[in-house]
Amino acid sequence: MSDSWRKESVYRDGSLNYGRLALYAIMIFVAIVWGAPFIWMFVTSIKPDTEVFSYPPTWWPDEPTLEFYTRLFDSFPMLLWFRNSLIVATITTALTLATNILAAYPLARMRFRGRKIVLLIILSTFLLPGEILLVPLFLGMIKFKLANTYFSIAVPAAANAFGVFLMTQFFLTIPVELEEAGRLDGCSRFGLLWRIFIPLSKPVIATVAIFTFVRSWNDFFWPLIISNTDATRTVPVGLAVFVGRGLSMRFGVIMASAAAATIPAVIFFLLLQRYFVRGISTTGLQG
Amino acid sequence: MSSPAKNKDKRATSPWISIKNDLIAYAFMAPYLFLFVVFLLLPAIVGVYASFTKWGIIGQPKWVGLKNYNKLINSDIFIESLQNTLYFVVLAAIPLIVLGLLLALLVNQKLRGRNIARAIVFLPHVVSVAAVGIIFQWILERSSGLLNYYLGLLGVNPPINWLGDPDSAMPAIAITTIWWTVNGNMIIYLAGLQDIPEDLYEAAKIDGAGRWQELRYVTIPMLMPVNAFVIPLTVIACWRVFGQVFVMTRGGPQGSTFTVAQFIYETAFVNFNMGLASAAGVILMLITLSFTVIQLRAMKVI
Repeated sequence: MSDSWRKESVYRDGSLNYGRLALYAIMIFVAIVWGAPFIWMFVTSIKPDTEVFSYPPTWWPDEPTLEFYTRLFDSFPMLLWFRNSLIVATITTALTLATNILAAYPLARMRFRGRKIVLLIILSTFLLPGEILLVPLFLGMIKFKLANTYFSIAVPAAANAFGVFLMTQFFLTIPVELEEAGRLDGCSRFGLLWRIFIPLSKPVIATVAIFTFVRSWNDFFWPLIISNTDATRTVPVGLAVFVGRGLSMRFGVIMASAAAATIPAVIFFLLLQRYFVRGISTTGLQG
Repeated sequence: MSSPAKNKDKRATSPWISIKNDLIAYAFMAPYLFLFVVFLLLPAIVGVYASFTKWGIIGQPKWVGLKNYNKLINSDIFIESLQNTLYFVVLAAIPLIVLGLLLALLVNQKLRGRNIARAIVFLPHVVSVAAVGIIFQWILERSSGLLNYYLGLLGVNPPINWLGDPDSAMPAIAITTIWWTVNGNMIIYLAGLQDIPEDLYEAAKIDGAGRWQELRYVTIPMLMPVNAFVIPLTVIACWRVFGQVFVMTRGGPQGSTFTVAQFIYETAFVNFNMGLASAAGVILMLITLSFTVIQLRAMKVI
């Protein structure tokens, strides 16, 4: 404790260490720049109508009010959009986990013909800009009368290869001896996966689950084009297309909508921070 | 990828058993491969095919050869969208990479509260582009916006019409993008920094290296493998910029923020010219791929 305190302190040998002081100043500046937009969004959303455009800007309203939230939920089907986002993200996440775990097992632990080619094709899609897929997927969904369904929004996202990659890498690190022992006990391949690999891979499974969920929750381009009814529209699309559109003088309501969409995500993040960090730092993929 | 499983299947000597083994492997992969083929591989192939056709929202595609590409090359709007996107890549990708590294170096220092700082910078990662776009529309607002107020205190006058002026709109989109996504690069660089063996710094110290020399001769070279994927992924993401523009400017003012992805969106899903949009998608793909190859060559990765 005392040692770490000395390392972190701006004093060294009893005198001020200007280098460290500067680092602290920069760090505080960084925290303000990245934190202020959130606070500003929230503060604007609880201001009374008269105070939104007050100049100079005020960082706390004289009379905080939830009026904008009332107006938001009265004018837009926010709760319905929330429900849709939740359903879509859950379908994508469940499908991703089930298929990726199964696919990662042979890729990491079995020798079979075509293994290298399968891996190469899957990994090469990391470099594929998704725009090329939009037209065929859109026409396909229209053709099979699947536009405006949860299926059409949720399922294509589960084809993403990042989870397979991450889980394959993790499965490779599980000791072979455990697998051999399981096999001597008469476990089938599926039994090995179920009883040995999955229990040992909980952290990476959680990482993939959380990552996929957030990616799906925030996905924008594809839901924007494939759903045009409130019955399936997700939160980001609802915000961008309705709440935020050409309503330049209604920043209070708009900020209330942004806050309503953001606060659950922020709480989710604060609870599960370490999984995000692990997911990004092991794959370099950012959702 | 690392080596295939070491537990060589000793029973797999007879061809029948080996075929059975292959079947089991593919059975495990079947559900994912089905999704992969139907929703990724096939659409990618059809997307390239569609770029050589005239294809509306209904009816059959009609083969037209290179006509779509010809049209694009002669289309001022498309060429402008390429230029705008390139401008955005320059404005956003370089700060995303450099600032990502600097932030990683900062939160890698032994400072009190660095975990809090890291968490705050990371927070925008979980926010959807729709919310980010509308928050920044408000912050960048000309007369009551937060940014202009504080810039005014620093002596920037008259206030900048960030999203209303063709000169400042793309920088405004870039600022928004940097705030939103620099955290990903920060985390990747941070992981890279933490992988550098402590002995290298010890050795540098023994050789009398100062802080800058440590950075120059130990940290930066050791981060080269990290750069080899941070840089292409950042540049690809910048070429694909869509949501921020869609929410904040819709390509305006005067087309100054009209990007390739915006062009694809309007061509395909507003005007339903699927063939032309697909050709634009193929060009976008060729640009990002060739950039990646050139860059990895330059870094001697491939």
